[in-house]
Amino acid sequence: MTTLASPSAQTPSALATSDQATSTQAPPTMPQPHPSSANTLAHPGRAGTLAQIGLLIQWQARRAGDMLPFAFIMQIVMAVATIFGFGLLIGDPPAMAARHLATGATTVTLIMLGLVLAPQITAQSKTEGSFDWLRTLPVPRWVFMVADLSLWTLIALPGAAIGALLGAWHFNVSLSVSPWIVVAVPLVALISATVGFSMALLLKPAMAQLMTQFIVFIVLLFSPISFPAANLPGWLAEVHQWLPFQPMAEMIRATLMSDEFSMPLRSVIVLVVWTVLAVVGATRALSQRN
Amino acid sequence: MNSTATATRQDVLTTPASAPISTTAHRDVLAVHQLCKRFGTGETAVQANDHIDLTVRSGEIVCLLGHNGAGKSTLVNQVVGLTLPDSGTVNLSGVDAVADPATARTLASVQAQSNVPITGLTPRQAIELVGRIRGLPKKAAQTRAAELLTNLDLTAWADKSSEKVSGGVARLTAFAMAAVAPGTLVVLDEPTNDVDPVRRRLLWQEMRRVADSGAGVLVVTHNVHEAEKVVDYVVLLDEGRVVTRGTPTDLVTNNPGETLEDVYITLVGEQASASAE
Repeated sequence: MTTLASPSAQTPSALATSDQATSTQAPPTMPQPHPSSANTLAHPGRAGTLAQIGLLIQWQARRAGDMLPFAFIMQIVMAVATIFGFGLLIGDPPAMAARHLATGATTVTLIMLGLVLAPQITAQSKTEGSFDWLRTLPVPRWVFMVADLSLWTLIALPGAAIGALLGAWHFNVSLSVSPWIVVAVPLVALISATVGFSMALLLKPAMAQLMTQFIVFIVLLFSPISFPAANLPGWLAEVHQWLPFQPMAEMIRATLMSDEFSMPLRSVIVLVVWTVLAVVGATRALSQRN
Repeated sequence: MNSTATATRQDVLTTPASAPISTTAHRDVLAVHQLCKRFGTGETAVQANDHIDLTVRSGEIVCLLGHNGAGKSTLVNQVVGLTLPDSGTVNLSGVDAVADPATARTLASVQAQSNVPITGLTPRQAIELVGRIRGLPKKAAQTRAAELLTNLDLTAWADKSSEKVSGGVARLTAFAMAAVAPGTLVVLDEPTNDVDPVRRRLLWQEMRRVADSGAGVLVVTHNVHEAEKVVDYVVLLDEGRVVTRGTPTDLVTNNPGETLEDVYITLVGEQASASAE
């Protein structure tokens, strides 16, 4: 077969000659080879870390293009459902309960996105094969994580803001927003997404999906986010001393109603420990070889 | 093109087919030595790679042939750092790819066996983005993507949403994503799958151009007939072991059969029969 670029038939000197050789072999309908720049590409430079983060965010955002509007809407619906749903269950709440309900929606939307959507997207990319291919790119593992987490945090922000405003209006409470809100909201989203991301990486996809269902149940009904921890049985309140949900709710409450709530030091420490564990777990999982 | 690569490529192609392909000027971009990988334990364990030696030099296309399950993709996954070998070494342009997979990834670009979903992107956007992630400046990535799209006759689909392109176009796009900034080694796992005959020809030509630019190409394929006309060296695997190796001409000359496909069927068929007994 002479029309293929046989090594024995091809003049092996410069690319221009090579192109010429192959183009003369090709049928007339074939496109003429573009003047190749491949010789300048065998040793490409290395994109800067910030540039790589930006490019990966761009890749993931475009890949998630169809889903992004849906994710935004779901975040808002989740916030609305939390506020009105608990309102229906509880009726006309006393002042302290109203403050928890008003700020709880913001925390719930941030947690849901990180702990539910992030593992679902990651599990899907593992199943469809793009996860392994992405891992062959010359990008440090932590850059993948930062890019994904940044995207998910951005998705979480509108729902969180609407949740706070709607909660305050519905339960007739006043917000006293601290400047620390700009740290607290991304931090809670980040920690949730890191834990969710680690879960998706460490568990098999089907297991990760089941785990997310379980977490939704626990977060909505059995976590002291939209109600005080004192409402829980003693043993469950003790368990929540070590889980990240209560400290996340405390952080959001302390920044949305800074006149009335503060963040206990113990909760800060618990959150830091969870972040470190999740980041280490995710990094190890991303670096794992079969 | 650098003069060394040009000179060595010339050496290879003007050397009689039966002579060894190696020349001192030819730079090894991949050297695999005694690579072993076993999956599972006990009676169900599978020896996917069994003491494999393999070398790919710059300017050279090396083809891995073998049945499904012969250990080709396992070998490729160890080269690109997705799978950890049990023993043996993988040296990528002087870098120990087992100990330092991060550096190895900067040297090798990969087309995976399964298509990478690029939903939400057009072929052009996907190729450009990968080029930039692999370190090309924006303008160079755009130029290179346009070049590949033209050479692979994909311009009609270049700016269409990936949901609207066929499996063959998606496969060629995945090849272009690996070839856009090739590094020193390009690993292609079954690049011709789903591709029509006309564009398969363009794909092999582009593969040759990438090799001529100085990169080494390691290609896994079942398309023996077309590979025979293009590749410089063939390694035939069966049940994780190298059954034979050589230039296509050598293999056809030294074995029964008139084509590489005949040799493949004869040798692997015999191996399969022997193991069945």
